[in-house]
Amino acid sequence: MSAAEPPKEPVKYVDATVRLPYRYVAGDYRATYLRALKDKTILGSRCARTGKVFVPPVVASPESFAPCEEFVEVADRGVVTTFCIVRIPVIGREIELPYVAASVALDGADISIYALIQECRPEDVRMGMRVAAVWKPDGERVGSWEDILHFRPTGEPDAAPATYLDRL
Amino acid sequence: MTRLRNVAVVAFAQLPTVAHDPHRTSTEMLYPVIRRALADCGVERGAIDFQIAGSVDYMDGRPFGFVQALDVMGSWPARQDLHLEMDAAFGAHYAWIKIQTGEIDSALVVGHGKTSEGDPRRILNLQLDPYYQAAIGLDPIATAALQASAYMARTGATDADLAAVAARNRTAGARNPEAQLREAATADALRETPWAVEPLRTGYLPPVGESATCLVLAAEGTAERLCDRPAWIHGVEQRTELQTLGARDLTRSPGAQLAAEQAYAMAGIGSAGDADVVELMALTPVEELILHDALGVDARTAAARVNPSGGALCAHPTMSTGLIRLGEAFRQLAGRAGARQVPDARRAVVHVQQGHCLQQNLVWVLGRERRWT
Repeated sequence: MSAAEPPKEPVKYVDATVRLPYRYVAGDYRATYLRALKDKTILGSRCARTGKVFVPPVVASPESFAPCEEFVEVADRGVVTTFCIVRIPVIGREIELPYVAASVALDGADISIYALIQECRPEDVRMGMRVAAVWKPDGERVGSWEDILHFRPTGEPDAAPATYLDRL
Repeated sequence: MTRLRNVAVVAFAQLPTVAHDPHRTSTEMLYPVIRRALADCGVERGAIDFQIAGSVDYMDGRPFGFVQALDVMGSWPARQDLHLEMDAAFGAHYAWIKIQTGEIDSALVVGHGKTSEGDPRRILNLQLDPYYQAAIGLDPIATAALQASAYMARTGATDADLAAVAARNRTAGARNPEAQLREAATADALRETPWAVEPLRTGYLPPVGESATCLVLAAEGTAERLCDRPAWIHGVEQRTELQTLGARDLTRSPGAQLAAEQAYAMAGIGSAGDADVVELMALTPVEELILHDALGVDARTAAARVNPSGGALCAHPTMSTGLIRLGEAFRQLAGRAGARQVPDARRAVVHVQQGHCLQQNLVWVLGRERRWT
């Protein structure tokens, strides 16, 4: 028998189903942040050197390398700083297409978070648009990012670009 | 030997190794350690030219998880960065080579890993080939036991010999506040512990642990500014053996031996007998006995010089265990080893490994004086 003439049958593939379960530590910072969401409160942490507020809270500023040990409350509303209109299904998410994924700079925060914008037509979303969180009803929030269903337009006048251009 | 740049370890910091840190993620554990190492050097993050990390995404359970560490490494303005899916001590070797090129003068080397979030034995089973070895369920303890059986058959080493090696490490570990096992144990007591995988007892194996580590390397001219007693690197070499376990003589470590010979030649020493301190990354007593042969450690004097830290048997935080060996050598040479200080330690030999049964080996020689003038 020659290695140049492999058998056609029966072995063509070797199945190896790998299952690796993990249990991630939330960490004290993330735990505090998630717990606050249950009370419709969004927390950030303030950089000891620059004063910048990071949401979600981080232990250290990636920019200044200084610790961010002070927790501060930020608003559950802010401004759309960039967005895209998703028209292809995303693995692991069941959302009606098309939908808008946006970067939202919350009032009081120096970096933006990612959020879905709903309750408006995708073509009406724009940079500078004011949006607010739509929370799950009382009694249904569990301390998870999913406690915020999505963001929706507030109807306020658009923010001037100068107010958010450094938070893109 | 060609004149190389004199490069030194100038700082080392670690978190005490624990079974499980419930308060912090892997990268959150890393941040305070980097801060402390830099504070020891008296500099800000911007003073260090290069950074390299050792971690395993499979341990942390997140593809490309290593990039998350950048956010706590002071990586801004954008830095030169490298990541190795290996123990961070191998990253230190890369950093040493990069310093030799003259491109950089200093490097931050970090190790991190959240071993407690997944199943390390299962993950390390996947390190083996998926067709024959992984498929029958071999894990690092099983392969180490195969190695132990073969070694005991070849050399006549007994269960009592293994217990004696383990007990010596455990006794030393009791003096190391950053070890995970800090209770001394006698050989007799360890021989009463149950089999993990026969012929290895649970008392002969490291506990699963996690930590975070940071070491700073700097070249001559910079090192003196960062540290009053740098530990100068005199020699270093690494060698990797075959992946197929059956193709190797598991009772010997030609990879460690070759790496040691080359590192000793670079350092201008004859054997590990010329060192005051030897830190071996042995994950079982049998691996330590094999390394004694490979590195030329005289077993009769081992008690006073080998693993004053307690070694890997007392703390094995994956991806940091090797960097801790290097950090311990620095502490010994700098006179910062506390209750485990070897008096007037002037030269150290360090061994680091990765993979099953001593597959990849890295050997360092360090000293109080500069190697090249």
